[in-house]
Amino acid sequence: MLEKWKLREVIVLSVLAVVFAVVYLVFMQFGNVLYGMFGLIGYDLIFGIWFIVSIISAYIIRKPGAAFLSETIAAAIEVMIGNAVGPRLILSGMIQGIGAEAVFAAAKWNNYRTWVLIAAGMGSSVTSFIWGYFISGYAALSPDYVTAMFFVRLISGALLAGLLGKWLSESLAKTGALNSFPIGKELRREKSQNGITS
Amino acid sequence: MLLHEFNPSIKALTVIVCVLILSLFFDPVTPFLTLVVTAGATFIFGKVSFKRWILLFSPFIFMAIIYIWSALIFSKTIEGETILWTWGIFTLTEEGFQRALSLGMRVLSFTSLSLLFILTTKPTEFLLSLMQQCRLSPKLAYGIMAGYRFLPLMKDEFEIIRSAHRIRGIPKARTLSEKIAELKRYSVPLLAGAIRKAERTAMAMESKGFTGDRNRDFYQKISVSWKDWAYFAFFIGAVLASAYISWLFGFLQLYNGEL
Repeated sequence: MLEKWKLREVIVLSVLAVVFAVVYLVFMQFGNVLYGMFGLIGYDLIFGIWFIVSIISAYIIRKPGAAFLSETIAAAIEVMIGNAVGPRLILSGMIQGIGAEAVFAAAKWNNYRTWVLIAAGMGSSVTSFIWGYFISGYAALSPDYVTAMFFVRLISGALLAGLLGKWLSESLAKTGALNSFPIGKELRREKSQNGITS
Repeated sequence: MLLHEFNPSIKALTVIVCVLILSLFFDPVTPFLTLVVTAGATFIFGKVSFKRWILLFSPFIFMAIIYIWSALIFSKTIEGETILWTWGIFTLTEEGFQRALSLGMRVLSFTSLSLLFILTTKPTEFLLSLMQQCRLSPKLAYGIMAGYRFLPLMKDEFEIIRSAHRIRGIPKARTLSEKIAELKRYSVPLLAGAIRKAERTAMAMESKGFTGDRNRDFYQKISVSWKDWAYFAFFIGAVLASAYISWLFGFLQLYNGEL
């Protein structure tokens, strides 16, 4: 898979993963506060933020594997920084990445419209929930509560990963830093077209 | 023999397999015993100071408490269980109480296993081992190492952006919408700077002859010996022994189709 990647893309992917690994760690503290306020479902409210790097990297780099790899690397970096959740986090990252990657794969890795990005965020919600069900023992909770958790996480994935990821990538593209990536090229194309018409 | 000397990949594998096995049990005794063994190993064979350990461990105590109360309030009641207490729509059964306690203990046992890994493994050695034992692509591994080195640089950059904002007289954010705007004002330039730096790093690596080829040699060789597998067997054995002891005392509760 990586043979077709340029080194430039691999390093940018890693750097994005590093930045969001730090964001993820910060949000864990925030999640704990919500946890204390609302119980288990508190985490699901902001769960989408943990999928955002998948959406951003896939949207910027637009290559098969970007969503999966970025989420996995972000998890690995969290472990390297010293997140006490430890090596199993890498597995969680892979599982979250697979959810988003599956959606991009279904769109044949050439459709990056808003609804695909939202669906990718929701895809991560689904896979991460199945994993959580097993590893955190949701089987011991009442089914109504578990259903509520699932829907909250689904919405969170759509908004905090899908939409926020899209918005952040586009603000980034406007700075010109992504000019050599597909997203930057797309932006310039749109700009020049608008320039002609107006 | 320190725990630091074992192969990092095997150590990570050990944690993951232990976690998967522990997820099958719904009684509090099994994870508790595992917690005792792993914490003990961390102190005795890892020479980790208790202060450092408890500092990382304590947030998870809080998390475990939340887990327990959530699982208590929203516990599933199965017919035929002993009812301890009812209040309105809430029913607390003895078995439900045990399950709630087990979920809390599970969080803590996972944490102790993770700390065993984190406090005795160097990040670079972990990556080298992933490359040499798990066939992780060098392109990706060195990419991650380069990215990891960016962390302190980004901290500096953050300071620079903050000073720049202050010099230009941007007031401190007070309302929520101001805070969100502030977040954007920091995150976009930080990310843009990081991406530009990443591209330069890639160019530097390539100009020095880095191809990302799998057939390369390593200055620091990391190997696997029977000792590493003994480490693996010891901790899997510890989890299974915990389950066995729990069973001896009649606590053991497996996942039994409680979907």
